[in-house]
Amino acid sequence: MKIHIKYILLALSIHFISCNDIIDVDVPTATPRLVIEASLDWEKGTVGNQQTIKLSNTKPYFDIATSNIVTGASVKVTNDNDGTELIFIDQNNGEYTTTSFVPVLNQSYTLEIIYNNETYNAQETLIPVSSIINIAQSYEGGFDDEVLDVSIYFQDPPDEDNFYLVRFKEVGDLFAELEDLSDEFVNGNLIDTWFEKEDNDDTNEESFVPGDIVNIDLHGISERYHNYIRLLIEQSNSGGDPFSAVPAPLKGNCINHIQPDNYALGYFRLTEVAKVSYTFQ
Amino acid sequence: MKNLVLLFLILTSLLSAQEKNTISGTIKDASNGETVFGASVYFKDTTIGVMSNEYGFFSITAPKGTYNLVISYLGYADMDQEIILDKDQKITFEISESSTTLNEVVITTSDTELVSIRKPQMSVSKLKMGTIKKMPAVLGEIDILKSIQMLPGVTNSGEGTSGFNVRGGAADQNLVLLDEAIIYNTSHLFGFFSVFNADAIKDIKLYKGGIPARFGGRVSSVLDIRQKDGNSKNFNLTGGLGVISSRLTAEGPILNKKGTFLIAGRGSYAHLFMKAIEDLKDDSAYFYDLNLKSNYEINSTNKLFLSGYYGRDFFKLSKIVENNYGNLSGNLRWNHIFNDKLFSNLSLIYSKYDYQVILDFVKLDWVAEIKNLNIKYDLKYYVSDKFKLDFGLSGINYKFNPGEVKPTAPDSPINYLKLDQKRAFEGGAYVSAEHKLTNKLTIQYGLRYSTFTRLGGQALSNYSNNTPVVYNNELGIYEQGIETNETDYKNNEKIKAFGNFEPRLAISYQLNKTSSVKAGYTKSTQYIHLLSNTTSATPLDVWAPSGQFIDPQISNQYALGYFKNINHKMYSLEAEVYYKTTDNRVDYIDGANLIGNNNIETEILNGESKSYGLEFLLRKNKGRFTGWFAYTLSKSEQRTLGGIAGGPGINNGDWYNTAYDRTHDFSLTGVYKHNDKWIFSSNFIFQTGRPVTYPNAQYQYEGISIASYSDRNANRLPAYHRIDISATYTPNKKPDNRWKGEWVFGIYNLYNRKNAASISFAQNTDTGINEATRTAIFGIIPSITYNFKF
Repeated sequence: MKIHIKYILLALSIHFISCNDIIDVDVPTATPRLVIEASLDWEKGTVGNQQTIKLSNTKPYFDIATSNIVTGASVKVTNDNDGTELIFIDQNNGEYTTTSFVPVLNQSYTLEIIYNNETYNAQETLIPVSSIINIAQSYEGGFDDEVLDVSIYFQDPPDEDNFYLVRFKEVGDLFAELEDLSDEFVNGNLIDTWFEKEDNDDTNEESFVPGDIVNIDLHGISERYHNYIRLLIEQSNSGGDPFSAVPAPLKGNCINHIQPDNYALGYFRLTEVAKVSYTFQ
Repeated sequence: MKNLVLLFLILTSLLSAQEKNTISGTIKDASNGETVFGASVYFKDTTIGVMSNEYGFFSITAPKGTYNLVISYLGYADMDQEIILDKDQKITFEISESSTTLNEVVITTSDTELVSIRKPQMSVSKLKMGTIKKMPAVLGEIDILKSIQMLPGVTNSGEGTSGFNVRGGAADQNLVLLDEAIIYNTSHLFGFFSVFNADAIKDIKLYKGGIPARFGGRVSSVLDIRQKDGNSKNFNLTGGLGVISSRLTAEGPILNKKGTFLIAGRGSYAHLFMKAIEDLKDDSAYFYDLNLKSNYEINSTNKLFLSGYYGRDFFKLSKIVENNYGNLSGNLRWNHIFNDKLFSNLSLIYSKYDYQVILDFVKLDWVAEIKNLNIKYDLKYYVSDKFKLDFGLSGINYKFNPGEVKPTAPDSPINYLKLDQKRAFEGGAYVSAEHKLTNKLTIQYGLRYSTFTRLGGQALSNYSNNTPVVYNNELGIYEQGIETNETDYKNNEKIKAFGNFEPRLAISYQLNKTSSVKAGYTKSTQYIHLLSNTTSATPLDVWAPSGQFIDPQISNQYALGYFKNINHKMYSLEAEVYYKTTDNRVDYIDGANLIGNNNIETEILNGESKSYGLEFLLRKNKGRFTGWFAYTLSKSEQRTLGGIAGGPGINNGDWYNTAYDRTHDFSLTGVYKHNDKWIFSSNFIFQTGRPVTYPNAQYQYEGISIASYSDRNANRLPAYHRIDISATYTPNKKPDNRWKGEWVFGIYNLYNRKNAASISFAQNTDTGINEATRTAIFGIIPSITYNFKF
């Protein structure tokens, strides 16, 4: 489903009379935990050799000062079919890179990370994705018919369950907007999804104007990763309001077999990705 | 059934073989002919007495002799009449409001020393509309549900949320009955108002525990709301004009005064103002509701009642989304008095709740509903002055339509989808006795047997190892089980059946003339569940029946209380402790997806909950100043173990606070009558903040700062508190003028406390810094309302 109907509705119902302000809150602090952002994304039309894995530790929620990058870990990805091992090289900035990854669609891979004498493992399959057939701007898509939006169109394969992660980012923005999609209600159809911005004085958000450039990435993802990223998106959008689900620990697929309680956060994902860039006319 | 009735008729004649006679009849309000529920009727200087039932009926049996019959109802003048009891007799009594009525706030669990102290019924709160109407109200709209939250043991999830919570129970665990019809959603405009129009309501009674055996189907409480019958003396119009809503009620006698009618309508018009505001001109949010009631007295032993309710909410946000929802109910009741000791009521009830959501931007139309047909037969048998018997049967036929998705345009990307309809039948039979063992000791014991049969007409998924949810040991998360095949159940084929005995017990022991102790035990079963993994119930939640994978909720509640009247009922004090456990409370796996899911069982586990607390209520019942002080100290927790799904369970299998756990709940309500023109009232409320989950760490993912959460509900919002005030001004009445008007001026949240409805954690899109954002709903809100009666 494109959006979580319920949350939108209820959030909006309050919208008429509520007031929001930023306050100071004492939050608990957990002991640091390893975070693995191992997103091996193979862009259509490229060889996909260059890949980066990011390692960091969690830090207190309101901490802006502390650096939490993780260096000195050993990072290895194995092709489960032929056993080819690939070492990612520590760049000493929290990033571990390779230039010789060989992506194979629907192939299963295993990640192994050794850090502080603990070993973390994860296994995932590289999921293919449909091409973006069309990209177009309009006023009619999106929530608001008075501001510009941009839509992408792609064909969902019939007879199978498909899951998608869409990443929208306007050039110049601090971070991207993520959207999870499943074909549950739209199986086999031509799917479209849009990106729109509202004029909002509180957040200094501005709607699109001609000349704005937007990058859109469409990833094919596994069902399990879809469950993970859906929860991550939901929690990063609406954590804490009375109509959102009770927030929960986001467990990914990175397991510590020796000490299961010391699991790592983050995810080892392998996706095929279709990328487009659009300049508003 | 006929044989049973016959048996009791024989029993009656046997028992009356002693030198005893019976006086029976109906108690009515002299001003409008409304029957009076809960008046005490007793013989002076004896311990013989009863309370009038929901239909105003009473029956007293005593040895032959001359007595002073007293009818007492707080706020009304006592009626004292000599009765020569030498034969069975039937009398209708009319009681009048005492001239000092306005000096009294009439909130009472029961009225005379005689009964309030002696009756085993405990954990019950009764509020009369007169009381509720004097309490300050948000936006001047009188709200029954907000009023009961001023009583101990009743809370809700915060402003602007639906439902209410009783003794640490969930909102769906309350049985809400409007003239015996089940109301599934009690809120208008997502919880800003309740669906009950105060002008059409006679009285309300909330059973927090010690639920009588005639009620079943919910494990937390019963809110029994009775509509007015309509004025049987003369035609009347009442109404009110408020800032955002208005109401009008017409009532009067019909059919040669053998019947009455009442019709009440209410609507909001805030959306009309919204049209005037440029930003909101395409938006709209409004509600209306309609109450109908009519009764017809066929003869002195037969009376028919017809009542109905229809309410609807509409909500529209530009061209994005449209939503409407509402309850519909109707019922036909037949009161039949077999003889002066045996009263019966047969009800045929229909109720329905449905909602529709139209999402224009994805061209989707979504509807869902629950409806039921209910037949009930209740009898009350006044065997002797020491022994009263309630017994009856009920059957409810449910139909659940959890969702139907339709594309709204040919180019819609949405495929048509209809989730499986579910059918079920709930049956109940009960017998309950109120037995006065000695002058000091009275016991109420009853047994209810309930059944629930989930019926076919659909295909159901089977899962490998019969586990729809499995624990993934490697990842440490719960996931959907593996679907193996489907079983096709034919229409009305039994999928699964349950049966439960529900014993109910209450004891009261009178310590002296003014005080007593009471103890109670209630077991109850709930077969239908409101599925919601959001913190507070919403209009869009779906009800689901018990079945293969969802077990009925079973609760046991124990309560102990002390009751005392002080200074000739000037003050009264109630203190109760309770302990309640509930098995098979549905809990949701992390990230459960409930909307549009045909296989809900893959998202839930059966857990348990427990709550316990202390409630204290001190009331001042008489004088210029009346009111009450309520305090509750309580705890409400839940736990869900992995069970057959494996793994430790939800939240590591640890007990965690339910969303409705409030350690302290303190409220003060006061009404001061300055003179005939001015009445002032105020209330103050303080509650421990709602349990929430705060982040305990952050990390970067996809370039975004992600909050990391740990244990469920381990933190709390800041405490909730506010003061409301109101003043009622009644201009000089001209004695010969039928028109009576009053102005009500109110201020809600006087000191403009920004109570947090929620605190959300997110990254500022501009600066990238993590922030905590508080959402507060109602700041200070002044209001003005004009009420009239003609």
